[in-house]
Amino acid sequence: MSTQTYSLDEVKQILTDLIADKIDVDRSTIKPDSNLKELGLDSLDTFDLIFSAEDYFKIKVPSDQIKIETLEDVSALLHRLIVSSN
Amino acid sequence: MTVTSQRKRVVITGLGTVSPLGELADLTRNVFAGVSGIKRLDVPFIDQLDCKIAAQSLFDPAEHFTKHKYSMLDRVSQLALHTSLEAIKHADLNITDALKPRMGVYLGTGMGGAQSLEDGYIRLYRDGANRIKPFTVLMSMYNAAASAIALDCQVTGPNQTFSTACSSSAIAIGEAARLIRHGYADVMLAGGSEAFLTYGSIKAWEALRTLAEEDPDDLSASCKPFSANRTGLVLADGAAMLVLESYEHAVARGAKIYAEIAGYGTANDSNHITQPSVTGQAATMRAALNDANLPPCEIQYINAHGTGTQLNDLTETNAVKKVFGDYAYRLSMSSTKSMHGHLMGAAGALEAIITTLSLNTNTLPPTINLKQADLECDLDYVPNVSRKLPDLQYAMSNSFSFGGTGASLILKKTN
Repeated sequence: MSTQTYSLDEVKQILTDLIADKIDVDRSTIKPDSNLKELGLDSLDTFDLIFSAEDYFKIKVPSDQIKIETLEDVSALLHRLIVSSN
Repeated sequence: MTVTSQRKRVVITGLGTVSPLGELADLTRNVFAGVSGIKRLDVPFIDQLDCKIAAQSLFDPAEHFTKHKYSMLDRVSQLALHTSLEAIKHADLNITDALKPRMGVYLGTGMGGAQSLEDGYIRLYRDGANRIKPFTVLMSMYNAAASAIALDCQVTGPNQTFSTACSSSAIAIGEAARLIRHGYADVMLAGGSEAFLTYGSIKAWEALRTLAEEDPDDLSASCKPFSANRTGLVLADGAAMLVLESYEHAVARGAKIYAEIAGYGTANDSNHITQPSVTGQAATMRAALNDANLPPCEIQYINAHGTGTQLNDLTETNAVKKVFGDYAYRLSMSSTKSMHGHLMGAAGALEAIITTLSLNTNTLPPTINLKQADLECDLDYVPNVSRKLPDLQYAMSNSFSFGGTGASLILKKTN
């Protein structure tokens, strides 16, 4: 369970860092509406990204909710789960 | 090109390795100079080990792959992929669309993605987490390395992984040669990779009590095959891959041919899970001689399995005497594990590369640290310094294993 609250913008920033670290690109190339597939992340990469985010935010993302295409989608999903777990 | 009952000649046209003696150029220099790659283990858990030596291969994946790519590959696959790409480069091989379905990958590994599996267990059992990384299965499965190579090279021919402990990669090479010989493929990447120097694996090896004691005067001299004072094997990691192709295919594209695979034999001891048998090892060597249609007296050099354990070295010596009779005393046999340690699933492939280098340089690599004669190990082991043998034509490379599966490869010089 998450014990810390994050604003949606903070979630976006942290997620951008996680993606940049994963695919080794400059974070400035990653925009909120960036499509994860176009960034080079396939479905397995997305699972791995969610896993890292779950570790970071100390939340659990239900499998049936991993239907995401953009950074914005992931941020919204994670933020909702963080808020509901506090 | 289709399957044929006619036997095609199979040649080696490319070599790639990351070994404890360095990559191909450094290996060529070091193995004939008698340089040891055995060092103090460079691991964070060294204080918890009884065995503090190994022959580790230096390899930084960041120098060769993007982070996105290497972070999804266990070290065993990183090593296998890099050495495969090096072998392709060395072969000057252009993988055309026409070649892709006629080219495959046969790879040997004893322990697969050991680090990835162990990392998962550490999270679960030590750290109390209840889930592990999503890539754990894909990084630790034994066929991950062969799959990574096929994906990267886009080759769609046969792709299989062999796991017969210490003979895994010799088996992979032999079986790949058979594929080409009978027309199932024109080109194969064959060899092995091993990356098992993890805390759990080293502890498991310590428990088997087969590891060499550290030499108090010079730890790099701790592996002493065929010497009376030998105390065991030294663990090593690394990878070695070879490009094999049909002679016609190699000639048609003007490839440089480094050696021919003249014979391959395999047998199982069916004796004991760890104890080798003279009968089984002799059967393996005889099978290779039969396959090559060669009399024993044509073999001038044997790259021995030569682990440095009391039992292996004596058994192999006696098996060679059984197969070669009095001629055993006229051929030369050395253990290069004295220098590069035991790469387990990659050992046979590295030693096949070294045997190929021997044929190309007319030089026999030495068994270093052979300072005390063992009365029962009384063959010519090329002690301590390499030796020129200008008329070297045929050489054998032996690999035997826990579990009893042996493999002998016979390589022939091509002029």
